[in-house]
Amino acid sequence: MTEIVWCKKCDTVNYLDPYNFWNFKGHVRCAECGTTYYVHLINGFYYEGPREEKSDKYIMPLYADKPYDGYSYYLPGTPERTRPFVCLPSERPPTGKPFYVKFSIRGKPTRGWAPQPPSSGLAGSMGFKWDIKKLSPEVWKEYQEKLKRGEVREW
Amino acid sequence: MQERIKKEMKVSEFPGPEELELEKMPFEEYCRKVFDPKKTFEKPEALKGIRWLSCTMYIFTPHSAANLAELGAEVIKIEAPRMGDPMRHTSPFNEAYLYPLHDTRPMTGTGLGFAGANTNEYYITLDYHRPEAREIMYNLVRMSDGLTECYRPGTFHKWGISYKYLMEVNPRFIYVWGGGFGYGPKVFGGSYDILGQAQGGLASITGFHESFGGYPVKHSNWVIDWYSGTMITVGILAALHWRRKTGLGTMIEFSQVQMASLALGYGMPLYGRFGVVRQRWGNWDTQLCVHGIIMCGKSDYPDHPNPQMREEARYVMVSAFQDEDFAELCRVIGRPDLLQKYKTHKERVKAEAQVEIYRALEQWAADKTRTQVVEILTNAGLLAFPVLNDREVYESPHYRERGTLRWIEDPLFGDVLCQHGFSVGLLSETPRRVRWEWRPVGADNVKIYHELLGYPLKQIEEWYNKALI
Repeated sequence: MTEIVWCKKCDTVNYLDPYNFWNFKGHVRCAECGTTYYVHLINGFYYEGPREEKSDKYIMPLYADKPYDGYSYYLPGTPERTRPFVCLPSERPPTGKPFYVKFSIRGKPTRGWAPQPPSSGLAGSMGFKWDIKKLSPEVWKEYQEKLKRGEVREW
Repeated sequence: MQERIKKEMKVSEFPGPEELELEKMPFEEYCRKVFDPKKTFEKPEALKGIRWLSCTMYIFTPHSAANLAELGAEVIKIEAPRMGDPMRHTSPFNEAYLYPLHDTRPMTGTGLGFAGANTNEYYITLDYHRPEAREIMYNLVRMSDGLTECYRPGTFHKWGISYKYLMEVNPRFIYVWGGGFGYGPKVFGGSYDILGQAQGGLASITGFHESFGGYPVKHSNWVIDWYSGTMITVGILAALHWRRKTGLGTMIEFSQVQMASLALGYGMPLYGRFGVVRQRWGNWDTQLCVHGIIMCGKSDYPDHPNPQMREEARYVMVSAFQDEDFAELCRVIGRPDLLQKYKTHKERVKAEAQVEIYRALEQWAADKTRTQVVEILTNAGLLAFPVLNDREVYESPHYRERGTLRWIEDPLFGDVLCQHGFSVGLLSETPRRVRWEWRPVGADNVKIYHELLGYPLKQIEEWYNKALI
């Protein structure tokens, strides 16, 4: 299930992927001509819009094509036209920026963000220990602060 | 010691081995001691010494090998180079990943959909469909007790690594082919859990009848996958025992869709005897009444921001099928007429009676919260329990104290909550355990190819560069 913005200025269909647009209120920019549209979606369906509205704050569609032009298209991740699709969780409310989890609900570090430093092992091999202090010092620092604030629980 | 006995000691006071001490304990205390979750990792593992190969994908067949690994077997999961098991790339709403997937793919992770099906395993990569991989595979087989695979029929045969070939390499080898349909008329069909539930007949009896606004329902989770995996493990354990007696291997053929038929219960014999096709009966029971789930009118968490908490926390399981219990239930809900009308269980278990009784129960609960309903019924000596969601299960001390729901600090991925691994059949002497959830694709290539099979590191590097591993 996905909604679209059909830009009549350039006859481009901009696909609003459900991950970022499931519940979304804001602006989206046409991949072809750059016109911005206001959209408001609730549970994947249009509540308001799309209507043309100028805005500097927008997110790009995931994919776009031109059906009257023999279905020429913009693949995900085309610079300045579409967003890359890298299976990343979305910020809430969706802005198109990835949202990573660094800590579990009890406050301990969980390796839920990318990119991760490569293991540099031979043939993809890895050791048995994630040395968070060495490999992710910024998360380690954040974790120490959480410990001090008493935000880390056993359950 | 002689002197101590002379001093009027009772038999119960005799010092003795720990077993004697345990015998004196009340049963609850005894259980808490012998199943103490804190001692899990101090105890031995039942299947230590078994080495198993897992050429599997998704949940169904991987789970059969994970069962062995949780019980102590050394399980080596063989995945496609760089990519891994496709299940790694599935995650709830594509959002819950643990990173990295592989050292060449730092922006990709393994999705939580993979959780629980590949616990404690070692992860190597091998493109075993290539002819140059065959000898490597045979060497792995020489060093192992068995293998589980899930490919379409004849695929491993085509690649020269089916049971027919492997039993020549290792006559003690146990081989599991977890086919979707197994051999038979639908032999070329692949399967999925939902397909199994549909084809096996299970979906037709799950959910409410159409006249109640229902239709065939699949379980939200992949129950047939989990169920089938466990049943494969039962087959493997039997094959291991058979091998101990005879020294011979076995081939196990396992049809996933048939698991759904196994869950049909009395439906098949019923059809065989009367030609009656069983219908869906939803949250109620065809043999017991009252014994079902009812909806209450008010939520336990009316202001909670999460709709799953706000809207859904209002279901209660109620059981009162004995005559005395039913009488009490009718009294509590203020419907003595129902008791007069349906005095015996035989009368109230009929479909028309159940429709009336459950409707009356829901009418009574319409102005109450789930907690109020449970409290009223429990105080009246009846069995009632709220339908818990994941969060409430997490908060329930029952699972926490038993150690069947635990936080594990995964050595690579950090803090992970897991309900599997510890939960199925607590073993006092050799408890199941989770050492790690999973490891990245190819994380143990050097450990297995170099340290176990003795291939030189240069050779391993060459395979890696050729994408053979």
